[in-house]
Amino acid sequence: MKTIIRREFLEHAQSLQFMVLLVLSLALFAGNGLIFVESYGVHMDSYQKNLAFMNSWKSTVRLELFRLPNSLVFVAEGGDNKRPSEYYLLPGGQVTAGSPNLRAFKLPPVPPLDWSFIIGVLFSLYAILLGYSSISGEREQGTLRLVLSNSLGRAKLLAAKYISILLVLLVPLLAGALLSLTIIAGFLPQLLTLANVSRAGLVFIIALAYISLFALLSLLFSALIPRSALVLLVLLAIWVVFSVIIPSSSVIIGEKLAAAPREIQTARMFEPMVDKEISAKIEEIVKRGERGGFKTEEDMRAAADRAFEEGQVKVNQFYGDFRRAQRQRLEAVRDLSRLSPAALFQYAAEGVVRSGPGGEDQFLQQVGDYSRVYDAYILKKLGKVVPASNFSFGESVTFNGKKISLDSPEPREYEGDKSDFPVFSERQASIGAGLKSALGDLLGLVLWNIILAGLAFSAFLRTDVR
Amino acid sequence: MLKTIIKREILEYLKSAKFLVGLLIAIVLTAASTSLNVQDHATRHQDYLDAKKEFKSNGFVIVLFREPQILSAFARGKDRDVGSRTEMSVMNAPGPLTGYMGDEPGRSPAFAGFSAVDLAFIIRVILSLMAVFLAYTSVSEEKANGTLKLALSNAVPRDKLLLGKLLSGLAAVVGPLAVVVLLSSAILVLHPGVSLSADDLVRIFLMFVVSVLYLSIFYALGLFVSVKTDRPAVSLMILLQAWVFLVVIYPNLSVILSERIAPLPSEEVLARQKDAVSERHIADIKKANEGIHQVSPTREDRLRFNDAWSAEAADFDQVEGEFSRRQTAQMRLADGLSALSPAALYDQIMGRLARTDIREYDRFMEDAHRLWLKHIERARLRYRDEDAYKRTSLPDFSQPSESAGESAASVWPQVIILVLCGLVFFALAYTGFLRKDLR
Repeated sequence: MKTIIRREFLEHAQSLQFMVLLVLSLALFAGNGLIFVESYGVHMDSYQKNLAFMNSWKSTVRLELFRLPNSLVFVAEGGDNKRPSEYYLLPGGQVTAGSPNLRAFKLPPVPPLDWSFIIGVLFSLYAILLGYSSISGEREQGTLRLVLSNSLGRAKLLAAKYISILLVLLVPLLAGALLSLTIIAGFLPQLLTLANVSRAGLVFIIALAYISLFALLSLLFSALIPRSALVLLVLLAIWVVFSVIIPSSSVIIGEKLAAAPREIQTARMFEPMVDKEISAKIEEIVKRGERGGFKTEEDMRAAADRAFEEGQVKVNQFYGDFRRAQRQRLEAVRDLSRLSPAALFQYAAEGVVRSGPGGEDQFLQQVGDYSRVYDAYILKKLGKVVPASNFSFGESVTFNGKKISLDSPEPREYEGDKSDFPVFSERQASIGAGLKSALGDLLGLVLWNIILAGLAFSAFLRTDVR
Repeated sequence: MLKTIIKREILEYLKSAKFLVGLLIAIVLTAASTSLNVQDHATRHQDYLDAKKEFKSNGFVIVLFREPQILSAFARGKDRDVGSRTEMSVMNAPGPLTGYMGDEPGRSPAFAGFSAVDLAFIIRVILSLMAVFLAYTSVSEEKANGTLKLALSNAVPRDKLLLGKLLSGLAAVVGPLAVVVLLSSAILVLHPGVSLSADDLVRIFLMFVVSVLYLSIFYALGLFVSVKTDRPAVSLMILLQAWVFLVVIYPNLSVILSERIAPLPSEEVLARQKDAVSERHIADIKKANEGIHQVSPTREDRLRFNDAWSAEAADFDQVEGEFSRRQTAQMRLADGLSALSPAALYDQIMGRLARTDIREYDRFMEDAHRLWLKHIERARLRYRDEDAYKRTSLPDFSQPSESAGESAASVWPQVIILVLCGLVFFALAYTGFLRKDLR
């Protein structure tokens, strides 16, 4: 078996496609490392400045919280470059995201040059280009008969071919990944922590599972179809479906399937909601005030404050529902695209490095935890937490012949000593948490491997080698 | 003679599995994606009409909505992603487009980097691959089988044989192209919520012509590689790698390069420029605010208020405008750098013909700006000559129009490069074939 693996390995290593893959892989991984070094520096610079501001800005009215730049986005960017880096926390737990990064919105939409792109697109294609003729090619040349006339089991031969394809792909993958890591370590040695290297290593293992799937797919069709050219045609059609068609189609189909309301439907509900939840109630208080239904002006203000506060909560709920619906739509798109192993690989990689929507969720979770500490602090210092939204309301009313204005209660700034102000600090998730969020997608990849291995094996057992 | 060759080759293509598989995938994808995209356009168009009706501008804030482009059903481009609404007032220039909820578009990037499937995508990816698949065997397989020697031992000149192969291959590629374009057009025309103008039909025809040019490049490239290699498997391997580089990798590199060669000013620099603007106007605005908050402000107070705020807005707008211009310059550089990739050129042309590219967005914003300047002028008039103010009204905003001819004229450099690419590959194939050793 060793002899076969060595022979196959050498054969692949001498091929044109191997040389091209090696060159492309080194160039792209080097580019990946260099681009990351440059952009991480810029992001970290601005984060440091923002952090200094965040820690000095001890406000009981509104806080600005900044997301720590992900030190592993070079592995799987997951759309993080477009996500906001700034979030606002208001008393009462209301969190709003800052503007997304739309600096590059005029540029053509191209995938980021991260590991998940290089491996997801390039290595899967080359797994096919290296493996498609493994069986059918030998059968066409007649060498398959010769090989199997020796005392060698078919299972062993298939395993040897599979291992040799994987090994030959491992060379450019390992070389590229190490080059990328070396560049990053050279410029940003502080990122070379055990946790980061372990995460990158974990993605590397997931990448192997992903590439292995395409190697098995090649062997399966190479065993099923006698003509190499047709094998390649079928495999390429599958590759296009997996890497391009399913992910791209899921964007339009997923959005269609998700029952999220359209933006305009939400927008047109906003004013009636404010009318019903706030204006109508305030109007009632105003009328009651003018009828003399309140003993004092304070009573009327207290009733208006209550109505406003309840109204703010409703406004926040309304926005929360809108964001949740948007999020559900995103999840529908992602779930649908999971039919493709390319998407499984990308999401598993995102899960491990905590980029993508999962990374943002984790940050928001921490902000949610912090907001309870923040509210407790406000309660302790000011005696009351005024739930705030990004909207304020005001009404003018005549009470006992005097014109007064009723304004929505605004959170107050605490003017005393704030040395005990709780500081927000973002925690990096453990590798265990990363692995847990990637587990489903990883299992999906393993399942693909098991099924394809079984199919390839049974197809090869039945192959007529004549 | 030429006819016989073309007929034979076409028949061969039509019988091949690769032709049938490619055609089937293209038809299924086209039917599904165009139906979804047309439906999506109809919904967005209805939203646009509803928004125009329901969210009216008031005297202070003017809200503008961008009409979605009908041909986004063929080439979605940026049409769906740039936003649909902007607002302006004396105090604010029209800002970047947002969604109807005022949210910036692209808040939740779904599947990083993957664009949705549309007709342009199917032609750019699926049909170009099909062209490569049809072309790779055309000479090398005949050489490997020995039939090339046989064919040329008859009184068939080499150039005629190659020309026959090119024309038949093109016919085999243009056939499925015509099918998918007609299918898409039929779905579009038959949709009850859509009406096409004559201009749109001309645009669709131009898209078809450009698609023919695009696919002929891949066919000519395939022919060239097939001439240069003796084994079909080798020609396919080279072609596939060239295809991946031209369609997948190179456009990506040109974007990365353009971001480095023409970097945009950082957020800090922008913030500093805006702070400087605030600083410059703070005294005037303070004075103007004091005037307007008097018990009964005079007409001069109101005018001063109007002028102070609009002057600041104009300066902010200058900072934003400069940034936007640099974004456009960066995009143009990326387009220029990607000119070596027929796929990138094709995308640019299709985006322009469908009016779903960034140029369309920039045109919309330029027109919105013109309206804003008129709005400011008119607001001043209100405090200077009220009668004149009442006699005039702000012109209605209509989306900038452009005829199909104008759109086509704006992409002629890209079209010429596409034509040249096709000619160069064919010339290379031609000379290669004339010198080819047939033994």
